[in-house]
Amino acid sequence: MSADASLLGTVQNVQGATVSVELAAETITGIAFVGGYGYRIGQVGSFVRLPMGYVDLYGVISQVGAAAVPTHLIEQEPYGRRWLTVELVGESNGAFGFQRGLSQHPTYGDRVFLVTEPDLAKLYGRQDAPNFLRVGHVANAENVPALVDVNKLITRHSAVVGATGSGKSTTVAGLLLALTDGARFGSARVIVMDIHGEYGAALADRASVYRVNPDTAKGELPLFVPYWAMEFDELLAMTLGKVDDPSRAFVVQKLHEMKMTSLQSAPRPGVTSDSVTVDTPVPFSVHRFWLDLYNLVNATHTAQPNAQDLESIAYLMENGIAQIGDAMSVIAPKYRAPTSGGGVDRIYLSGSPLNIRRQIQTLTSKLRDPRFDFMFRPGGWLPDQDGVPEKDLDELLRCWVGGAKPITILDLSGIPSSILTDLIGVLVRITMDSMFWARNLSEGGRERPLLLVLEEAHAYLAKDDAGPAAVAVQRVVKEGRKYGIGAMIVSQRPAEIDSTILSQCGTIFSMRLANAVDRSHVMAAVTDNLSGLLGMLPTLRTGEAIIVGEAVQLPVRTLIDPPAKNRRPDSTDPLVYDNLGPGGWNRAREPENYADVLNVWRRQNPRSPRLAEEGV
Amino acid sequence: MDRVAVSSSSIASVGYDPETLTLEIEFSSGLIYQYFDVPEQVYNDLRNAGSPGGYLASNIKGVYRYARA
Repeated sequence: MSADASLLGTVQNVQGATVSVELAAETITGIAFVGGYGYRIGQVGSFVRLPMGYVDLYGVISQVGAAAVPTHLIEQEPYGRRWLTVELVGESNGAFGFQRGLSQHPTYGDRVFLVTEPDLAKLYGRQDAPNFLRVGHVANAENVPALVDVNKLITRHSAVVGATGSGKSTTVAGLLLALTDGARFGSARVIVMDIHGEYGAALADRASVYRVNPDTAKGELPLFVPYWAMEFDELLAMTLGKVDDPSRAFVVQKLHEMKMTSLQSAPRPGVTSDSVTVDTPVPFSVHRFWLDLYNLVNATHTAQPNAQDLESIAYLMENGIAQIGDAMSVIAPKYRAPTSGGGVDRIYLSGSPLNIRRQIQTLTSKLRDPRFDFMFRPGGWLPDQDGVPEKDLDELLRCWVGGAKPITILDLSGIPSSILTDLIGVLVRITMDSMFWARNLSEGGRERPLLLVLEEAHAYLAKDDAGPAAVAVQRVVKEGRKYGIGAMIVSQRPAEIDSTILSQCGTIFSMRLANAVDRSHVMAAVTDNLSGLLGMLPTLRTGEAIIVGEAVQLPVRTLIDPPAKNRRPDSTDPLVYDNLGPGGWNRAREPENYADVLNVWRRQNPRSPRLAEEGV
Repeated sequence: MDRVAVSSSSIASVGYDPETLTLEIEFSSGLIYQYFDVPEQVYNDLRNAGSPGGYLASNIKGVYRYARA
């Protein structure tokens, strides 16, 4: 038996940062006891220490093996030639503690030791450092906290990936709770794009929830995205859809005029009639815009095409009233039928060369569709026909990026799926723009960084997707660091996410991932010589994550601290056999009432209308 | 609604609103459900049952409609 129970063996081969170690003949496979604690020897993913004088090198075991031994040596080497492959990761010396990177390499014959719990605490430690935040504990050492550097976690972006049921949402909720702990981070701010409406309940006391059909009993607030906050291309996609080039040029001009007019009736600080463009977030009335375009292409006139103007429109008279339509209630005007005969009473068709009748029809139905009201009738942000709303966007930004609570949840579960991608693009872009331009203000992201959590990211950040969401998020992950806006990408299908976006995520929390393609994407995105560690991904337990990247000193296999039971996202698997809860298949069927089902469906709000009062 | 703790492996606490005949149960999972149109007697029986979980399974589950609060 060796004098030091923690001795593993000696270095045989060094190639770059990869070291082969032969286990000493006296090292027993199984458990070694050091300082009263048991340590398993030769566990893939565990750490080893290579003392080199004043400096200790540290590495991770990536492979273990054994080879046959010739029979005449069986006495000397009863356990065979056993070896470990170790990836070196860093070093520590007394003065500086642990650092990534190596100043020297080991050589043959150097001794290799187990890493004991006090050593591990040194590796992961620094609980005293205020920028380090505990997210859980190291998987094989309960007393060693897993710490992440919040500076790097937020601004260098992160990704949380894992198969369904691996504990992703719970992990995200746990991270957000840790990050918004008022005692430590009183000014934390987080925006969550919650596609399924899972997080509202879990983060209730820390978050303001904005939802299209808010449940006011729960304190939810209405989500409004004023159309006039959008850039021209975004607006075009939301309103008319694709138009040909001449029509587009016309629409640009029309919109510009309307914004100019609005600006004249209500000047806005920061923008002048010289600087206003179609992209400037200046209010205008989309209803007026609709009516004008409608008249332009559909109206009949009492004048010939070359002499037509608004005065010459031949409105239909009903009961002595000209049917001029109504912009705000989206009532289309009616016109007299064109005639082909001569004479002074002849009615001419519109002379407009624009080919956008179909697109205007689309806009008509969108303006009438209550599902789009959050955008086209955005409460106090709805401009009147002259393009002057009651509130300006500062109020909106205060809700989103400056709310009273640290977390803002934009619950997108009631948004028509046809516009979800476009809408997320708009939300991310508006957030990014506000942080970008406010970079020198105390409200800006440089002074008060903002974390943007993107749930179910594969749904709108797909590979080769050049949609507005992908473009906006790419901008965040590429440039956000400079303006204090960090993204946290959450997905169960990392393989489907645009690799530019994934590779910009400095820190990856990888939960269990069984799919080989998904795994290879995560491994490819890891900028570390430790991608070997990710070989363990299929065998992680629920709630266990490997954290790699910039926010951790070392890749660490972590059991994430789960939030309290009543603060978990609403995404646990339904139980088919349920003997503890109220449901499941193993019960008699109580009377059913599908009127309630229809009620919640129509209201687009999952809260039962029967509930007596709010349960705590 | 005020709830009182009960000793059971599946139920943490129960409450009752006689106005609306609503029984509120906090399960040990932390989730809260409301059962509708439950007579007060059932609530009293549930509280006094030797095994509230067993009483729930035999007399409430499959009898009354409920919703998650």
